[in-house]
Amino acid sequence: MRHIIQPLFRHRLMPLLVLLQVALACAIACNALFLLQQRLVPILAPDGIGQPDKLVVAWNIASRGKPWPPSRLREVQASLRAIPGVAAVGLAGSLPMETSAQMNGDVIGEGTGIQADAAVYIGDHLREALDLQLVAGRDFSATEQGIDYRDIGINQSGPAIITQALADHLFPDGHALGKVVRIGRDADAARRTVVGVVEHLMRNKLEQDNRSNIDYSMLFPGVPGQWPMPVFAVRAGVEGDAERVRQAVKATITRELGVEMIQGFEPTYQMYADMRANMLAKSKAAVWLLSGVSLVVLIVALVGIMGLTGYWVQQRTRQIGIRRALGARRVDILRQVQIENLLVVGAGIVLGMLLAYAVNLWLMRHYELSRLPWIYLPFGAALMLVLGQLAVLAPARRAAAVPPVVATRSA
Amino acid sequence: MFRYYLDLAWRRCRQGPSMVLLLVLTMAIGIASCMTALTIFGALSGEPLPGISPYLHVVTMDARQAVDANNNDYDKPDAYLNLTDAKALVDAQRARQQVALAQSYTLVGRPDGKQSDQVQGLLAHGPLLAMLGVPLRHGRPWTAEEQAAQAPVVVIDSELAQKLFGTEDAVGRSVSLGSGSFRVVGVSAPWKPRTQFLDVQRNQGNVLGQPEQFFVPAQAALAAGVGPLTAGECGKGAAVVSFQSAEVDKCRWLEVWVALDTPATVAAYDRFVAGYADAQHAAGRFVYPPQVALYGVPSWMSMNHVVPDDVGLNLALAGAFLLLCLVNVAGLLAARFLRRQADVTIRRALGASRRDVFAQHLVETGVLGLIGGALALPLTWLGLWIVRMQPVAYADAAHFSVSAFAALLLLSLVVGLVVGILPAWRVCRQPPAMQIKLG
Repeated sequence: MRHIIQPLFRHRLMPLLVLLQVALACAIACNALFLLQQRLVPILAPDGIGQPDKLVVAWNIASRGKPWPPSRLREVQASLRAIPGVAAVGLAGSLPMETSAQMNGDVIGEGTGIQADAAVYIGDHLREALDLQLVAGRDFSATEQGIDYRDIGINQSGPAIITQALADHLFPDGHALGKVVRIGRDADAARRTVVGVVEHLMRNKLEQDNRSNIDYSMLFPGVPGQWPMPVFAVRAGVEGDAERVRQAVKATITRELGVEMIQGFEPTYQMYADMRANMLAKSKAAVWLLSGVSLVVLIVALVGIMGLTGYWVQQRTRQIGIRRALGARRVDILRQVQIENLLVVGAGIVLGMLLAYAVNLWLMRHYELSRLPWIYLPFGAALMLVLGQLAVLAPARRAAAVPPVVATRSA
Repeated sequence: MFRYYLDLAWRRCRQGPSMVLLLVLTMAIGIASCMTALTIFGALSGEPLPGISPYLHVVTMDARQAVDANNNDYDKPDAYLNLTDAKALVDAQRARQQVALAQSYTLVGRPDGKQSDQVQGLLAHGPLLAMLGVPLRHGRPWTAEEQAAQAPVVVIDSELAQKLFGTEDAVGRSVSLGSGSFRVVGVSAPWKPRTQFLDVQRNQGNVLGQPEQFFVPAQAALAAGVGPLTAGECGKGAAVVSFQSAEVDKCRWLEVWVALDTPATVAAYDRFVAGYADAQHAAGRFVYPPQVALYGVPSWMSMNHVVPDDVGLNLALAGAFLLLCLVNVAGLLAARFLRRQADVTIRRALGASRRDVFAQHLVETGVLGLIGGALALPLTWLGLWIVRMQPVAYADAAHFSVSAFAALLLLSLVVGLVVGILPAWRVCRQPPAMQIKLG
């Protein structure tokens, strides 16, 4: 071991520069990959919407002055239902992938006291229109669906359907059905009884980091009142028919509500798939950017280590020749250079981990960012070790190829 | 001597072209990524109104007139005031300039109905144009008397005037605004803040300022049925949001902005507002302790996340990447210089001092840095083009500017010199005799 460590201290510059590069690359890569993973969460998470090609969403419909009363919106819903080829029409305050108006808040599982930040979707015939998969319990009954709230409805008690993820979080014993979820911390907060559990339903308020709560959503039946931006979810019966239905939805809503909408604001009539693509475009762009950055960082580090080790080997050609003349095998030389690299890169990684953590702390203080999960550190370390060994492969081979006769030359 | 060093640098570059290419490319990529992030950061983080916004402050207080169990703690400073309080603060005239304002978005047309346009503008109480420095092309702003009398007068921008009347000078003409007919007293040049800082709540999602095309006294506008874009905070029982409504008498919907020049005047104004708010609280109008605070433009913008986190994060990432590139290039340069120790020792033996050798190598890296900068120019342009293609609200800010070009030149020279210092220092430490003996 001494013959490996000592030269590192005798010629400090080169190992030091390799170490520094590894540390920097490690710190950047860990944080960039962490950001990348955060941006991937909403792209990869299931949104729970079944058969998205058949779903037409009409949103950005804003009333001028006073919001439309629920009874008026139900009339529009009925005319949409009358369009030939329509299988179901949901009328809601908000939907997944829709950001113009959202309902979110802290909800608390009664009995367990566990709290979660969840999205609330209030609407009529939503489970059907969105084609959500019930995994337990039942859908809302006709009477439950028929409620017209005087306020937006979030403060009213009644039944609720929640996602599996939220059910598991609020009621870890696995029995969510029949339990009560309180909406908010007030003494008089609404109490919602869980009547059904759906597999997935994505929240629509996305933040920097939604790793744990992306699938925390609740569904309330009924139509919100005093809500200025209703959303209609129209499900076509046959897939190829969706575009015709979309046009018919546009015509119907324009006819029914057109003159009462605010000026200069065009409502949006979109296929759900397009809406989703638009909504996630920013995240996708960020994913490309961050993967590009990570890749370039790794390439730069690779090339740097290669160049430096190459020079270092060349500088010690004579010593290597002497070792060979004294009986060292080619494989010994190969191992020597590789172990050297392992030591230097290892030291760099230790420094890099500390640096990555410090950078993360700094970012947390200045931006709304969460803590770097510890799992990134061993992962980043392994990545850098592999990278280091790859980079050193060619110079180590060259070193091993040095013939013993070099030792006899003067320089 | 400098020319001789340049000549040496050139000869050496030709010796190992692939290595030189690698060095220069690494520097170019580092510089270009940093420049791209820096250009966007610079465009978004400057003063929204140069020379004016540093003096502006917004008044915030807990002016709620009913108990709100869901937000007993007043979790975020609130700038919206109702008309009564906003008027009281503005009319007290205790700052250098003060104005109450709200974002509006409405139809402005010719009285004969032949032309109209849906445009964004500001409802205001106070000398808005003077305080924000909106340049007037024709006419004048509205007077205090007109404002007090709720006279239907309006200032429109030249583009709207051109569109409605076919001429810029629309002073004296009338436009229809809501149910009223407003006399145009002034025509402004097209105006927008560089970044959005006025009424950020009604401008969510806008990073860059949007053109304000009409300016109208608030009370006259309300009388004609023209209200703010959204009604603001109207208390329990009211709709969550109602759009373009002029029934705002129960709502808090106006921001009060004041111009204050020194920390002393800021403190004095803070005391004045606190006194006013405490009196309202004591009288029972404000149910919560008011917690008055004044915010300058930068802190107000960062508190409201006007500039997305991405911008800063990308800059941090690009900066770290440039640092990595610097270390990388420094290492490669050190290897490159030390390979030619023999040349150096001969020069040293022939009488060149350490300083000469040091300078010679610094010139070489400086030249490499400049070449890297030249390569970074098209790369930066490419980077900004990519950003412009992105679906982000600040895409329009991604334009190459003259100042960015100057910064790039400077940055590349600095990069070249910084990466050269360590290798050049290392190589000039070589004792002359030793190498000659060995060679």
